[in-house]
Amino acid sequence: MKVSDDTLLAYLDGTLDEDQCRAIEAAVEGDAELEQRMMALDPIAPMVQQVFDKLPSDVPVIDLPEPARAGGVLRLVAVAASAAIAAIALTFWATRPAPMGWAEQAAIYQSLYAPETIAALDSTPALLDAQFAQAEQRLGRSLNRETLEGLPGLELKRAQVLSFKGKPLIQIVFADEQGQPFAFCVIRQGPAAPNRDVKHAVLSGLATATWAQDGYGYMVLGDGAQADLGGELDVLMQSFSG
Amino acid sequence: MSTKINSEQAVRRAVQAHSRRVWRFALALSGASDVADDLVQATCLRALERHHQVTSHDRLDSWLMTICRSIWLNEVRARSVRRAQALSVTPEADLVASGPDAETNIFASEVFTQVMHLPEAQRETVMLVFVEGYSYREAAALLEVPIGTIMSRLSNARRKLKTVMQHEAAGAAQRSGK
Repeated sequence: MKVSDDTLLAYLDGTLDEDQCRAIEAAVEGDAELEQRMMALDPIAPMVQQVFDKLPSDVPVIDLPEPARAGGVLRLVAVAASAAIAAIALTFWATRPAPMGWAEQAAIYQSLYAPETIAALDSTPALLDAQFAQAEQRLGRSLNRETLEGLPGLELKRAQVLSFKGKPLIQIVFADEQGQPFAFCVIRQGPAAPNRDVKHAVLSGLATATWAQDGYGYMVLGDGAQADLGGELDVLMQSFSG
Repeated sequence: MSTKINSEQAVRRAVQAHSRRVWRFALALSGASDVADDLVQATCLRALERHHQVTSHDRLDSWLMTICRSIWLNEVRARSVRRAQALSVTPEADLVASGPDAETNIFASEVFTQVMHLPEAQRETVMLVFVEGYSYREAAALLEVPIGTIMSRLSNARRKLKTVMQHEAAGAAQRSGK
């Protein structure tokens, strides 16, 4: 549709009839160039624009929160640093030692024992009674106290309740004839835990023997790496096998 | 160093660049400069919160206008209109009475008052097209109405404003001919 400037001015002046107006509007809708011509011819628009253009006299004061500080180069540095940290963490994770089991943890703890540690313990029968009662209650099974008290060459000193990853771990400490510490540990591992044959190892400088049966783990810890566990181990395995 | 700016920076720049335009639009919507102040502030904060929605840095001005209008319609309008009715607030014509002489100021005040007395739909359209220079189709997109509606709103507005201007022009000629 070809629309003359006169027609556009007549539209803008409001002198066209309704049908003519609708026809012009339809033409403008499909013709951006015609739209621009009409806007340029508008006699009212510039006057309104002139009046309102002065507003507001002052640029509005807008209170915006400060941008995050790490922008641009700093942000790149931050990204690089976090990537490096992630890489280091990944390296540590990939080369990490195998997660420490209860036996390793118990051995570390036991390795800190000196003769003085057990010499100072109060081992009165009443106290031992209370300790065994508590330990057996936590463990959910008997600790065969008669067997423990009958171990040749060992004096029962204390039964202590410890915990490994939420599982009750009982440490029973003895003094040998030289006053050196000797320990027997029992952990409740749960009914799903597999049985394990006895395994000898030196952990944290202590000769140890561990085995597992019927949901419980057992460990005997001698004094030093060279300690001979044979006699006690046989008795304890026999006693706790049922 | 890259000249590429992120969307948050783009929005902050747009807020700086277009705050006067948004304020004028807010004034046209609300008819009160104090409401316009609040509306612009709310608009800019909202825009900054939503900077991640920005996909193109072009025409952030019309995006700001859209946000402003949305806040006006959804959050401010009802209580502002109630207040206007209660207090019979008249458009603040003295805002534009800062010209060099009385004649100019009278004319400006009259145009301002007439624009502010237009129905809201005509007023916001006049502001976008006549004052801010948006094309009919841009205004149609911004206000979410057909182009034909924009054009007929402007025709109605012209008819009312024309009488004012003719009257003013006649009055000015009369005064200057004395």
